[in-house]
Amino acid sequence: MAKSDDGIRILQGLLVFGNVVIAMCGIALTAECIFFVSDPHGLYPLLEATENDDIYAAAWIGIFVGFALFALSILGIVGVIQSSRTLLLVYIILMLITYAFEMASCITAATQRDFLTPNLFLKQMLEMYQKSETANNNDKWMTEGVTKTWDKLMLQNQCCGVQGPSDWQEYMSAFRHTHNDADFPWPRNCCVMDAQGSPVNLDGCKLGVPGYYNSNGCYDAISGPMNTQAWGVAWFGFAILCWTFCVLLGTMFYWSRIEY
Amino acid sequence: DKIEYTPVLASSALGGRTTTSTFVLEQPRCAFTTMQDRAIIWLVVAVPDAVPDFNNSVGPGTPERAFQGFPTNASAYMTLNTTLLNYPCPTSPGDITVLRVGSETSCAKDESRPTCNGPLPGPGPYRVKFLALEGSEPVAETAWSEPITLRTAQSSNLIPMTDGRHSAGMVALTSILSILFAILLAGLVAMLVFWGSDACGGSSTFSKPEAVTVQRYNTHHVYDQPAARL
Repeated sequence: MAKSDDGIRILQGLLVFGNVVIAMCGIALTAECIFFVSDPHGLYPLLEATENDDIYAAAWIGIFVGFALFALSILGIVGVIQSSRTLLLVYIILMLITYAFEMASCITAATQRDFLTPNLFLKQMLEMYQKSETANNNDKWMTEGVTKTWDKLMLQNQCCGVQGPSDWQEYMSAFRHTHNDADFPWPRNCCVMDAQGSPVNLDGCKLGVPGYYNSNGCYDAISGPMNTQAWGVAWFGFAILCWTFCVLLGTMFYWSRIEY
Repeated sequence: DKIEYTPVLASSALGGRTTTSTFVLEQPRCAFTTMQDRAIIWLVVAVPDAVPDFNNSVGPGTPERAFQGFPTNASAYMTLNTTLLNYPCPTSPGDITVLRVGSETSCAKDESRPTCNGPLPGPGPYRVKFLALEGSEPVAETAWSEPITLRTAQSSNLIPMTDGRHSAGMVALTSILSILFAILLAGLVAMLVFWGSDACGGSSTFSKPEAVTVQRYNTHHVYDQPAARL
């Protein structure tokens, strides 16, 4: 029996180690999701206007799942050391519920990432940027969010449009209704600005002289942070869940071996 | 007299070479070589149908050449008048020598400004040439340009919104997680079904560190003795 005692001790040690790792991963997941939810790049209004901000929902779920994993792993460590059937049963059931939530979060983040294509943002920009006649308060809120976000994006990233300034020429837009083509072939923020926030050379900008206007598109500046967020939530969560799967299987085996 | 120069659009490095209502021409530098400095060079913008019987003597500012009547009442208009001094020859390298046709929006509807350089009313095509007038006498003209067509803006409804196809990563993630979750649920069910039954225990169960059964057994035994003595 000494051999099986050793075996059980090793299993206990492994389970405690597994739970410690889960605790640390839980804290990391919470921190990562809080970082994403704080929206450091200011892109949330664009998602809000698509009326499908699942990536943020996934990050919110991630915050709470991280806390739950931390708390439950402490419960698990206590249960393994005390070899208590009740504690471990509670641990397993609560862990499965947390597992289900985290699974939902990962799948949501991965699915919504596929939804965010350049055409989606192009259509949204053309229809909402500087739109003047808004139907209701909700429309007005989303339009203002999109306009402010695009103005900030074009200024900070020195870019114009989704694929380039030609977006404003190739398609009709809400912007075109209020700003005529001769004075504004593209929005003012597409011009290279000086320190005071006015165009360095307005005529050069309107002509499209390289150096006086931003000729590259903003899609990279949008999709970069969103990809990081989606993959960060989805794949880190996936890694945690794989590890948790092993720990839970080990715990179930351990539970069935406890004499009551 | 006729000058062997054809007006041409500016280089394609300019992003705003043609928009939906403006276009950018190269200036006719070094084209009017034998000219008086007094002459005024006008830009003539016309619809292609007006080119064959275009009359150089019709002056700018007349209703036949007013921008505001273009293209319905006036089949051509004249604008961007300047003297040769503004087209110096030779050009210094690095200078951008262009003319933007359609940049004056303030006078587009002002009938008192028939030589307005207003935005073009439609995508065209249009043909242009330069005409030099001394007083009201035409003294030199360039050839007509090739037809210039402006850009047309399509409706944003035509942007294809193909449903974001599911990437391979997402499919793999979903299926693996679902399988793992199913295994865990099966394990939980197995645990609960065999709860209490030692069938799976066998000889490898282990006892808990604290053995609590001994004390109670002794107490029972002690109480029995006095009863037996009575």
